Amino acid sequence: MDNDRPAGLVRVVSAFAVAALFALPLVWALATSLKPSGEYVSASAALLPREFTLMHYEALADSRVWRLALNSLAVTLGTTALALAAALPAAYALARFDFPHRLDALFLAFVLLVKLTPPIVLAVPLYQVLRTLGLLDTLAGLVLVNQIYAMPFALWMLLGFVRDVPFVYEEAAAIDGAGLARRIVQIVIPILGPGLAATGVLVAIAAWNEFLFAFLFLQSPANFTLPTYVATRINEDETLWGQLSAIGVLASLPILALIGFVHRALSRGFAGGLN
Amino acid sequence: MRALNRPWLLLVLLAPAAALFLLLTVYPLARVFLLSFAASDHGFEGARFVGLENYAELLQGRSFRRAAWNTAFFALVATVAEVLVGLGLALLLDRAFAFRRALTLVVLAPYVLSTIVVAAIWRAWFHYDVGFLNNTLRALGLDGVPWLFDPNIALLSIALADVWQNAPFCFLILYAGLRSVPPELYEAARIDGAGAWLRFRDITLPLLLPYLFVAALMRTLDAFKLFDKVYAMTGGGPGNATETLSMHVHRLAFRFFDIGLASAAAVAMILVAGTLGAAYAVQLLRSEAR
Repeated sequence: MDNDRPAGLVRVVSAFAVAALFALPLVWALATSLKPSGEYVSASAALLPREFTLMHYEALADSRVWRLALNSLAVTLGTTALALAAALPAAYALARFDFPHRLDALFLAFVLLVKLTPPIVLAVPLYQVLRTLGLLDTLAGLVLVNQIYAMPFALWMLLGFVRDVPFVYEEAAAIDGAGLARRIVQIVIPILGPGLAATGVLVAIAAWNEFLFAFLFLQSPANFTLPTYVATRINEDETLWGQLSAIGVLASLPILALIGFVHRALSRGFAGGLN
Repeated sequence: MRALNRPWLLLVLLAPAAALFLLLTVYPLARVFLLSFAASDHGFEGARFVGLENYAELLQGRSFRRAAWNTAFFALVATVAEVLVGLGLALLLDRAFAFRRALTLVVLAPYVLSTIVVAAIWRAWFHYDVGFLNNTLRALGLDGVPWLFDPNIALLSIALADVWQNAPFCFLILYAGLRSVPPELYEAARIDGAGAWLRFRDITLPLLLPYLFVAALMRTLDAFKLFDKVYAMTGGGPGNATETLSMHVHRLAFRFFDIGLASAAAVAMILVAGTLGAAYAVQLLRSEAR
């Protein structure tokens, strides 16, 4: 491509202008979280706070929101761990077993089927499944239903990474008498490191952001995750923007800190996206 | 030697993933399909088999047709806008300049946010009296727009928020597509005296088509599921001007407890999504055969 040719001035200026437009809603949210309430509920189009205040963040610290952040964190870590634990052995089997090539198309169809199934379609029967298992209104139940999308996504990504691990290393270890479990733990996983990390981060972000299942299956306010809490607060009061922005900023910071990593993971030719 | 040609080992390795898939996807899909032919308020106990009655009721129902129309309209508008904006971004950032990677990350930021956070920001921006957008319009001497109050505008406003969040995804795909075009082609075209527009029309666009297709399809499938944004921004209103199929299924199941009807609506959704997905699979197989 013309990718390495230098850009003209018009193009550079346009690129900065468009990026500024994309950044604007986020800048607004950050600024609003630092404004006193009287200042943002006004007819002023000013973006930057006239006087800075940390009141909205202090109010968060006093409230129980940080406990909901812990709920979000628990769901995120649980979802990621379970997805990787289930997907890695399966990816290994699919990569290392002599399958007829027709099955590749079948596997692709499976991934696609999952991707195109709207979550609300599964929500009705899943409600019954969770109730039967006694997992309604529990974080563990949410970790379980998150696997609908997390596990196939992880499997899809890991399959590519396992295929890149040369089998020669394993053969050498097998000759020395290493069993399958040891080969996976001592050879495959270390080589997979970066791929596992990329997969884990993408799964974690999707789990951290997930709303619909959390909204349907977590009923007690004490069990809410951050997105469900924000959704309930949005409808309570039209202009709680300082509070909401502060929560939004806190919920987004961990992800935005990883954005360089996410960019690399997504640019690796993987077009499945986050959700 | 082969790594594993012992079938039982294969089964052990595949078991956890297969169990999750069967429990959370296959079983629910089968259940929703069966319940769509039943009159039921929660499950199979006490359910009566009613054949295609649910489907008949669904297709006659005004609100289902409205939800289907809203969803199709939103999916079309949002997808077209997102692919075009994504293409513009990809072309803009396709030449080397200082801070290019930093700008790429800034543009990518909205895509990784929680949809609920996106909805919270835009709902505040769309506020009629003191929202950032109307404040800006009024500062310029223009009238405020009833972004979320006007039934004819509300869905477009939600699409605008969706474009901000998801155009970066199209940008990523199309940017990868641009990088796959061999530079020699452009060189040759330059030597032949082809201008920028000709080079774009005759080289970039044809080679980018498969990428445009993938981006459009991914976004269509995703827009088709729309729930979170509408729930948090308008709740489906004003009236039912922004109610989507996902919200409709949700209301039937979790407000009216009409599981049979909700299941029929769910099956209808799967059929449409499946048709879209099949088109995608065919396209994929074609491009692999080439």
